Amino acid sequence: MAVAVEAVATAPVVPTKAFVPDPYLDLDTYEADADLMTLSLGPQHPSTHGVFRVVLYLDGEIIVKAVPHCGYLHRGVEKLCEKLAYSNITPVLDKNDYVAPMLNEQAANMAFEKLMGIEVPLRAKYLRTLLAELQRIASHLLWLGTFAMDLGGALGGGTSVFMYCFRERELILDVFEELTGCRFHYNTHHVGGNRHDIPPGWPKLVHEALDTIESRLEAYLVMLEHPIFVDRTKGVGTIDAQLALELGLSGPLLRASGVDHDLRRDAPYGVYDLLDVQVAVDGGGDCLARYKVRLAEIRESIRLSRLLIDNVPQGPLSATKPLNMVTQFKAAAGQVYVGIESPRGELGTWLIASKDKPTNPYRFKIRPPSLHAAAAVPYVFPGHTLSDAVAILGSLDPIMGEVDR
Amino acid sequence: MAVKPNEDARPFEHPLYDYLERVPGLDFAITSVDKLLTWGATNSMWIFPMATSCCGIEFMAAAASRVDLDRMGSIVRGTPRQCDVMVVAGTITVKMAPRVKRLWDQMPEPKWCVAMGSCAISGDFYRDIYSVIPGIDVAIPVDVYVPGCPPNPEQLMAGLIKLQEKVRLKRAGLPVPKEERPEALERTITPRIGRIEERLKASAQDPVSRAQLESAQRLYVRVPVEGGVPEVKPAKPTGGAE
Repeated sequence: MAVAVEAVATAPVVPTKAFVPDPYLDLDTYEADADLMTLSLGPQHPSTHGVFRVVLYLDGEIIVKAVPHCGYLHRGVEKLCEKLAYSNITPVLDKNDYVAPMLNEQAANMAFEKLMGIEVPLRAKYLRTLLAELQRIASHLLWLGTFAMDLGGALGGGTSVFMYCFRERELILDVFEELTGCRFHYNTHHVGGNRHDIPPGWPKLVHEALDTIESRLEAYLVMLEHPIFVDRTKGVGTIDAQLALELGLSGPLLRASGVDHDLRRDAPYGVYDLLDVQVAVDGGGDCLARYKVRLAEIRESIRLSRLLIDNVPQGPLSATKPLNMVTQFKAAAGQVYVGIESPRGELGTWLIASKDKPTNPYRFKIRPPSLHAAAAVPYVFPGHTLSDAVAILGSLDPIMGEVDR
Repeated sequence: MAVKPNEDARPFEHPLYDYLERVPGLDFAITSVDKLLTWGATNSMWIFPMATSCCGIEFMAAAASRVDLDRMGSIVRGTPRQCDVMVVAGTITVKMAPRVKRLWDQMPEPKWCVAMGSCAISGDFYRDIYSVIPGIDVAIPVDVYVPGCPPNPEQLMAGLIKLQEKVRLKRAGLPVPKEERPEALERTITPRIGRIEERLKASAQDPVSRAQLESAQRLYVRVPVEGGVPEVKPAKPTGGAE
């Protein structure tokens, strides 16, 4: 994705006092005659993508300090999972990262299988990988739509790109609905394999959806190759590689900061070791780099999905018997960690089982990538204007269901 | 000069003209102001999306290209002060509920509320979690329940059409049927207020839990707890100089 248009030259906005972003800035030591204003952005705000709240301290229009607050969607998921049997946890985790539920199911069930020593059949591995890639397309399309909406009226009326992106996202949801019966919250992964087999005619449907998305993507991305878009994203919200690694960022955010790291290639699971995953890296570290990386990932996922759907092998779909009682799956004492590459980064599951409760997890810890993205806010916001804050938050793409859990 | 009768004029295919009576031969129409206002109120219901979680994504899908709520005049606005309908989409936690109540109070009358999804209706499987309130109807009155986890955009649209009917009935002065929570028809559950009471009794000795539950109880504006909060005996000081 080459954005050829140069940025429009505008007068730089200079803060009252030159400073390096300091998340622990003591406001009493800030300039005495500065007229600071406190602004609470959220928890209900159209551009916070959920119930995220940031308290901003503004010097004029420049943010000098940003304090994020979470917990407005804390649902006690980890505690709830400790009470549930292994077979009942999957539908709860669908609601965790509600933009990419397939990946949540996969992460948890891979941890269960690793703990129980169950080998998943090859057909289920192919299907899981395919579903993950399709979900990645849908998730990034939703991100692109909301990000373009955040940037506002400069992009052809604000909601135009949003409307186009949702039109394409519906095609992916149709494919999932054909397979599982649900638009999202699928509950299609279970311990040992998958629940829903590929219906006849489904591969053709997937191909049609992918072709349509690929052709239309080119058409409406022209709207984003716009000097105002470049002006609002280039050099805004820069995270360098050092800061990204210290914050524990992963996924597109890390790759947009110039670190070449992708779990699909570096620690392959599923059938990624049979695929040649091309990882998109951009050294910019700003909002434009994150935009470019995510768009490259959409194209790469389309390519991988086509490869996968044509090569799904025959065979059983599950290594375990169909569920007839919830205590069917039992795990020995032990602990495992499984990390997979979700659209937002490394989605980890740390699972501890004790011998007292063989059917329930003793501790179920989720490592959400969005939490680390939200933690970047106090490091990135200071020094930018208020309108840039919305653009940065959109490009970080934190999902609050995952942050608060 | 005599006005020529306009006999072959066909009625327009616009909802407004359902309410208008065209007089043959004359180029004007009569209606009552009340009918005109009802038409306006039901076909321009601006929505304030109280979108917190998964249902918010389906709400966005409903407002986006395929289903398109604009077709029924429902525009999504980001501020409560311009809106008629609040769509509560998603889980409401104890921390979030006072904000929802505050935003609801900021909406001008007349206003309506749609509870979208099982979390907003009853708390779904988070109902026993310490941080989730069991349905938004404990804090604000709900007019239409749209069940599902999450409901399809089409179901949300059906819910809004149902709300339009209610608005029509209300403006016409006719009795409006009371809305029941969908789960109440299917199974009998322990009343949520009773459960809060039990929790209060169980944790009355713990000052932190007591403070949390009291703050949660303040939200229960529609059905107050009978008998109030149980008495708490002051805890004996432990440790210290002894």
